[in-house]
Amino acid sequence: MSNDLAIETVDLWKRYDDVDALRGLDLQVPAGSICGFLGRNGAGKTTTIKVLLGMARATKGEARIFGVAPAADARGAAVRQRIGFVSDEKDLYDYMTVGEIIAFTRPFFPKWRRDLEEKYVAKFELSLHRDIKALSRGTRTKLALLLALCRGAELLILDEPTAGLDPAMAEDVLQALVGHVASEEMTVFFSSHQISEIDQIADHVAIIDRGRMVISGSLDELRDRYQRVQLVFAGDAPKADPKAPGVVRVQRQGRVLTILTRDREALVAESRAWSPVSIDSSPVSLKELFLESVKTED
Amino acid sequence: MLWQKAWLETRWRFVIGLVILTVMAGTNVYEYVVTQRMMPLAESALAGADSSPLGAAIREAITLQREFRGFIWYNAIRDNLTQMGVLFAVLLGCGGLLAETKKGSALFTLSLPVTRKQLLGARVGTGLAQCFAIAMLPPLVIPLLAPAVGQSFSVIDSLAHGLCLFFVGALFFSLASFLSTLFGDIWRPLLIAVFIACVAALAQFVAPELGVFKVMSGESYFRTGSLPWMGLVTSAVLASALLYSAAETLERRDF
Repeated sequence: MSNDLAIETVDLWKRYDDVDALRGLDLQVPAGSICGFLGRNGAGKTTTIKVLLGMARATKGEARIFGVAPAADARGAAVRQRIGFVSDEKDLYDYMTVGEIIAFTRPFFPKWRRDLEEKYVAKFELSLHRDIKALSRGTRTKLALLLALCRGAELLILDEPTAGLDPAMAEDVLQALVGHVASEEMTVFFSSHQISEIDQIADHVAIIDRGRMVISGSLDELRDRYQRVQLVFAGDAPKADPKAPGVVRVQRQGRVLTILTRDREALVAESRAWSPVSIDSSPVSLKELFLESVKTED
Repeated sequence: MLWQKAWLETRWRFVIGLVILTVMAGTNVYEYVVTQRMMPLAESALAGADSSPLGAAIREAITLQREFRGFIWYNAIRDNLTQMGVLFAVLLGCGGLLAETKKGSALFTLSLPVTRKQLLGARVGTGLAQCFAIAMLPPLVIPLLAPAVGQSFSVIDSLAHGLCLFFVGALFFSLASFLSTLFGDIWRPLLIAVFIACVAALAQFVAPELGVFKVMSGESYFRTGSLPWMGLVTSAVLASALLYSAAETLERRDF
């Protein structure tokens, strides 16, 4: 396990009854990165986070945060002191007020940031005397985010931080997150099925589908690596699929063959033998990449 | 802070339980006067009681209630405080981390840098302290109020009965705590624990020597002046075993 990684999983499996939620997941999140964890509903995002935080036990494989395996014991507790977490449910203790839950959480984290606490109470317009059960979902999300950001954590894990929020509230939350990460040295690992969010704030992306990692890497690198190559022929496009390495998906439409590949050079070299009229290549968006990568798993 | 959380989660059950049991104990003291006025009627019923088990039970009930000490033990300690004590001990044991999954706050709790054993420990510690208060304080009201009806009741007797109520109450509290690590709602642990208490009460008729409620009411202390040590130790051992099982179950559970 590398010291440069904040999170690493190797061949991670998690089985619930007769369903494999994770099927050999290999995930690497570099320290200092903002990594978007993208996947469809039920792809295994929340399960991965639960295993990483020691809330669920892996059936097989390894998971480590800062090089330490998650556990329900004291070692796991020590690691959680370095982590800020917002769950997808964002439900907190209904029997406390905003001020009480802040005062409750503060003593667990020696590096708690009072300055940030005051800043976010004001920024999020939180009333300390308000009962948590009376808060709207958006305000509760902001409170959950405050409780995670003020921990002085080295790693922030957010599970669908904007789920269920209206676009304006979601934007508020994202902006707060971006602002925080810009001023603090930390790793952020956040799951979402909103591609635009990941495009907006992440520098790394990991796409999970049906419990397996399908694509991961830095966003810039992925954009460079994955290309859409369009071959136009004088007659109908050839029936045979290209044999070049890195071909993700092939689509035929009359005289046009559109291929998504992560090795453009190899594909172009092979396709010259088919004598196309023209060869064009263009970068793909994260959305296209996501949609194509989850389709190829069928 | 975990203690504060456990207290906030259970405070109303505790306060309601303490008030109800204290009021019951106090009311029993004042009922003594009314009962004594009706005693001549009861004495005539005693004359008609046959030698069947029911007749013997009626005879004993009337005999015991002729005196204040017997009246208090029979009505307040043996019936009210024992029955309600079990109910509130079970109520205090229900809930916890697994029940938090229904409310959605379990993941926030689990993200805190504490172990699951610490979470359970704070909950159990708080619950046992509450059970102790619910067991010890209401019997102490009896010697306090007894002079108001021209009677006296030993503080030592109150403490002895309180101790018996606590030990067996702690057993039912531990049972509910264990069941709460198996079921994610508070109703199933509550109903199962109360059902087990009912079965234990019925079993007492078949095998009186196994009577858990005889231990809880401190019957041997009332009749002979000696505490039911064997029953108290057995309760403590069973409660410890249940709490250990609860901790192990919680440790292995996926959330």
